[in-house]
Amino acid sequence: MSIFEYNGSALVAMVGKNCFAIASDRRLGVQLQTIATDFQRISKIHDKLFIGLSGLATDAQTLYQRLVFRHKLYQLREERDMKPETFASLVSALLYEKRFGPYFCQPVIAGLGDGDKPFICTMDSIGAKELAKDFVVAGTASESLYGACESMFKPDMEAEELFETISQALLSSVDRDCLSGWGGHVYVVTPTEVKERILKGRMD
Amino acid sequence: MKLDTSGLESFSTLTAPGDDVAGEFSAPPSFQLPNSNDFDGFVKEAIQMVKPAKGTTTLAFIFKHGVIVAADSRASMGGYISSQSVKKIIEINPYMLGTMAGGAADCQFWHRNLGIKCRLHELANKRRISVTGASKLLANILYSYRGMGLSVGTMIAGWDETGPGLYYVDSEGGRLKGNRFSVGSGSPYAYGVLDSGYRYDLSVEEAVELGRRAIYHATFRDGASGGVVSVYHVGPEGWKKWTGDDVGDLHYQYFPVVPSTVEQEMAEATGA
Repeated sequence: MSIFEYNGSALVAMVGKNCFAIASDRRLGVQLQTIATDFQRISKIHDKLFIGLSGLATDAQTLYQRLVFRHKLYQLREERDMKPETFASLVSALLYEKRFGPYFCQPVIAGLGDGDKPFICTMDSIGAKELAKDFVVAGTASESLYGACESMFKPDMEAEELFETISQALLSSVDRDCLSGWGGHVYVVTPTEVKERILKGRMD
Repeated sequence: MKLDTSGLESFSTLTAPGDDVAGEFSAPPSFQLPNSNDFDGFVKEAIQMVKPAKGTTTLAFIFKHGVIVAADSRASMGGYISSQSVKKIIEINPYMLGTMAGGAADCQFWHRNLGIKCRLHELANKRRISVTGASKLLANILYSYRGMGLSVGTMIAGWDETGPGLYYVDSEGGRLKGNRFSVGSGSPYAYGVLDSGYRYDLSVEEAVELGRRAIYHATFRDGASGGVVSVYHVGPEGWKKWTGDDVGDLHYQYFPVVPSTVEQEMAEATGA
């Protein structure tokens, strides 16, 4: 098993009408053994910007701490929050800095930009940005996730329908992956509120 | 290397050696060996391809009223779940069961072969074969293929004249008699539950529940086990299937979700 499959993870972000949703599984494992079933993979940078980090858990935690540090510095200097597009460039630069000894993570970034326009992107472990208009996926279950999202996604979904769609896509994909699952964590973000929900899934 | 081809005797037709098209080999039809310059290297590679196996949890134990045999139903290829509904408890004959761990094809073929041998024994000797005898037959065949890359980790459980019998047989050639076994990547977790809950004088219902619980706990912790828990009981009359519960539902049965005070209750969104 490769280093990316050591801990196991599943991440997906989807764009809706003036809103976005980002979801992850909750398993933390050491190869086939499950250690925790309540692992947080998605973290808030600010109210309208979330980042999920899949891959090696230790690198995900370290990278997250560095990003929070950089964002806090930015807030002090610019006296405002970072835009998602800018943040994505920051993550990409940080990852490429380690080009010859990379962080074994694949980030998924989701936020509301200017005019509350939803923005999602993902990157590989050395910072190649992939901007998408509909959905992005990452993790050990990514191939299943691509299939599920491709078939279930519709453009311009409202928050509730978006939540249902992303949940179904996540749960059905992780049910085909040994290394991710054990529940789900979904954030649905609109300009006015952030709804965090835990999904009941198969615990095997 | 002389392979034990008695496993194929049942299939050999009346072809006399001289009738062969090539006319060169005088042995009965056997598994063809690949034509390669480096046979050892080729076999090594073939073994590596099949190796990531034994991603499963099976267990069996003897108690006062017979033998309980339980297994999960997940088949995995590396990280991908290829099936959640594999039959891992193989019915060799109405009073003997075998469990599957390792290569599915290997287990299915050799268990069926064992069933044939057992029936032939019955016809030749006018009495049923003992569990000891059946497991020995299988172990000898697997030993002769040792090193060739078969992957079989099976338990033979049955009821014969001497009472309940349980043997562990594997493709390395090992054969062990015992009272409690668990095989597969999830076996450490199953052993924990099985060993702490085991008593010789369990009732049949309690024993079935113990087997089910042990497999459930293994599916929770082990990534390569899951799907449906099947539990069989082998008694003096033969085997009987007791339960086939989906592990996804079992979890919420054992650990029901306590509704917490939230304004908006989420609707069930399971995709299983």
